[in-house]
Amino acid sequence: MTRVFVDAWDPSYGASFEGGEGGDGPGSSSSAQVDVEVEVPAAEWAPIDVSAGARVPDVVFLVDGVRRNDAQVWTAEDDGTSYAGLAASFAAGVVRCDLARGAAELAVARVSRGLFTASPSLGDVRAGTVRYEVHRVSGPGEASKLPAAVQGPLTALEIEISSAARDSGSDGTDLLIVDGPLRNRRQLPRTIGYVKTQQKHYLPAAQEAIVPRLRPGQRTPVFQIGTVWGGWSWYLRLPGSSGAPWSGIVRVECSPELSPEQAIELAEVSLATLPRFASSAYKDPRAPQNLVPIAGLERRLRGMLGDARVLHRALARDSARAF
Amino acid sequence: MIDVSDETSSVGRVLGTADATPLQFWTAVTPGSYLQLDDVVVTRRDLPDREPVTIAGVVTQVRARHEGAQFDSDVFAIADGTLPAMVQEAAEITTTRVDPELYVPPAPGAVVHRASGDARDAALHFDRMERRVPMGTGRDGVPVFLNADFLDGTRGAHVSISGISGVATKTSFATFLLYSVFRSGQLGADGTNARALIFNVKGEDLLFLDHPNTKLDDATRSAYALLGLPAAPFPDVRVYAPPRAGDSSGAPDVASRLTGVDAFYWTLAEFCEKKLLPYVFADADDERQQYTMVVHSVTAHLARYAVPAEGGISIDGQRISSYQDLVDHVVEQLTDDETRSTWAGSAVNMGTVNAFARRLIGSKRDLSRLIRGDLAQRRPHQIKTADSAQVTVVDLHNLPDRAQRFVVGVTLKTEFEEKEKAGTGRPLLFVVLDELNKYAPREGSSPIKEVLLDIAERGRSLGVILIGAQQTASEVERRIVTNSAIRVVGRLDPAEASRPEYGFLPPAMRQRALLARPGTMFVNQPDIPVPLCVEFPFPAWATRKSESGPPPAETLRSIVQGADPFAVIGGRPGADDDIPF
Repeated sequence: MTRVFVDAWDPSYGASFEGGEGGDGPGSSSSAQVDVEVEVPAAEWAPIDVSAGARVPDVVFLVDGVRRNDAQVWTAEDDGTSYAGLAASFAAGVVRCDLARGAAELAVARVSRGLFTASPSLGDVRAGTVRYEVHRVSGPGEASKLPAAVQGPLTALEIEISSAARDSGSDGTDLLIVDGPLRNRRQLPRTIGYVKTQQKHYLPAAQEAIVPRLRPGQRTPVFQIGTVWGGWSWYLRLPGSSGAPWSGIVRVECSPELSPEQAIELAEVSLATLPRFASSAYKDPRAPQNLVPIAGLERRLRGMLGDARVLHRALARDSARAF
Repeated sequence: MIDVSDETSSVGRVLGTADATPLQFWTAVTPGSYLQLDDVVVTRRDLPDREPVTIAGVVTQVRARHEGAQFDSDVFAIADGTLPAMVQEAAEITTTRVDPELYVPPAPGAVVHRASGDARDAALHFDRMERRVPMGTGRDGVPVFLNADFLDGTRGAHVSISGISGVATKTSFATFLLYSVFRSGQLGADGTNARALIFNVKGEDLLFLDHPNTKLDDATRSAYALLGLPAAPFPDVRVYAPPRAGDSSGAPDVASRLTGVDAFYWTLAEFCEKKLLPYVFADADDERQQYTMVVHSVTAHLARYAVPAEGGISIDGQRISSYQDLVDHVVEQLTDDETRSTWAGSAVNMGTVNAFARRLIGSKRDLSRLIRGDLAQRRPHQIKTADSAQVTVVDLHNLPDRAQRFVVGVTLKTEFEEKEKAGTGRPLLFVVLDELNKYAPREGSSPIKEVLLDIAERGRSLGVILIGAQQTASEVERRIVTNSAIRVVGRLDPAEASRPEYGFLPPAMRQRALLARPGTMFVNQPDIPVPLCVEFPFPAWATRKSESGPPPAETLRSIVQGADPFAVIGGRPGADDDIPF
């Protein structure tokens, strides 16, 4: 008989894997070249437990960013045309978890605001005490495309503060966890990307069958994805999952510039480190994948974005006054 | 104008997440700083068209919480180092002074400073007190003062001290306050000339006020020095104790203090002449009681017909030389049909007479040692503060309830009448009376309660200051409590603390009063809108035999005086010209 599992994630966040039918894993298959024989031969793939000698870093940095659309604006150009614009606030922060000392603190946080539009004439917009810097979007700039444009500046902000956080308090053995794929953050040292949502199949069927067999605190061997944004990667299962085959599974990646040995070492470190950060279902709608420090960081960052209604009202008032 | 320019003492900023009002506001405490209860802080509000307003206050509540935590269990994740959160402390400030008086709220975000020196004095209104009596130190270790205007009758008088017995140290605080009045010099000549009448109702702990305390250490001495007081015992004390029961010589009944104690008693002649009979009865003024008319007519009869005779009295041709004999005679005359009407009037029925007789007979055992007909009349035996030392201690602890009431009632009445006769408010007389709820209960009426009410209501102008102590202010006559300008609270019983009599305590202070340590009092004075937490030093005088140092020289002399046939009546011990040869 087919068993049924309720996904731990709140339905409004989608599922932790964008499944095909029957919850059997990621939906679309990736066209990427995958090398599964990095750590063990393909035929010997099996779940890997945390090794006894695995190093747990004393200090773990976690980076994340949040964004919010404050207002949708329209411009009235001199020639009678109109462009859509998006006033957005975004913030990025780094949590420094000192596990030896038992203290997690917000190491760096930065808030930025931008007005994303294709209008060629619009300048910075002031709303009360804050300023929305204009980010000019190329192309026709339809309203529906604008939200995606926020991601670029946000990622840039995350990279900027990641290095800034390490400048002040790094002991050379720490670990930096980036929320989401590494993409262009791969040059950061000792850094892993942490992918919560599994949208693509990377592994061949034989190896992928190993993933649902992982128990909490186990990982798959390291494999290599041969795409532009690829690199070394592995799956691991966090504790606190509902028991569904792909629940609590995350994919972790690291920079392709590392040697296979370095990648395997990072995989060991991640397996020893990540499970203790897993969140519990009643506290977080995306448990266990949404890590506790990340959830705390997001709350703090959202607080720093300021009150949306105040900003919206200030924008409306100041733009009305300008004419 | 309170000075707030001291930038180094900044401790936080006014919160914007809770309402800031002119009378109460919250302050977020800067990380790395702290505020504790009772700390004095000051902040400033700039106004567009006039000088800035300085708002000063006292911390009445402090709290700390994790910001960024949603669930109670998040504290484990935070302590584990996985969840970022911030500990944020906040303090509730109750405003004590707004200068100039322009009641605007402090602006959220305004810097809050810890007040010290002149700013602290101004915040607590000490700068406006012309004469300030030190009453201990605040939680910050700096002296706090009592406005003498509210103590000596200038603008108010009377002190009411409440707290459970044993740990509230009510009498210790009362004696310390007296010491401070006498020795601080703040009251000038009034302080030096003032007299104190202390009733010792429990144990013998007030009998050693003039003995140095051998347990006095350097820390206590420096605490006294900080308050500007010498650490010494009371210099001029006279102790009175009742005569020993069944002892015909009238020697004072004390166990531990052997020197410098005088016996007090009333002769039968005084008892009759001064109309003291009503004080024998606890409810002699209660209009619901029928027998009270008998009390008053018998009192009048005794005053009119009793003739002094060799210590005792003579009435109806019969010589009476003891209280028992007097009671027996009165009862006999009242039960006799022929004489009853001359003693009690004609309209009194037998039931009423019996009610009176029953009570009178019941008083024999308790009062016979105090009302004497067998001791020399010219021997000094009366409690009279004007002729006594600066501090007069009347020991009541050996006396049964009825006798205590009699002594307190008669002594206070005598003193008050003396003051009324003199017609001047000086010298001041401080009366310390513990267990006020017994002498002036909320319900009923009695002669002694009338005397206390008189003191509470008119004593201010006559210079009689009542320092009353009680376990429960809610059981004391309301007019006495409301007439007290200064209210002091030590440790309180939880049920008692919630009564309206303690409405002057803010909620947080009411809770603290439940766990106040001995030596900690909350003092409310009319000047300052918030009660101040006061720690007063350990007594510099002995409070029991075991810690008492050598007695002062003057008291040794009165061993002789006790049996001295040449004693000068009304002569003061302690004065150098005391001995007549």
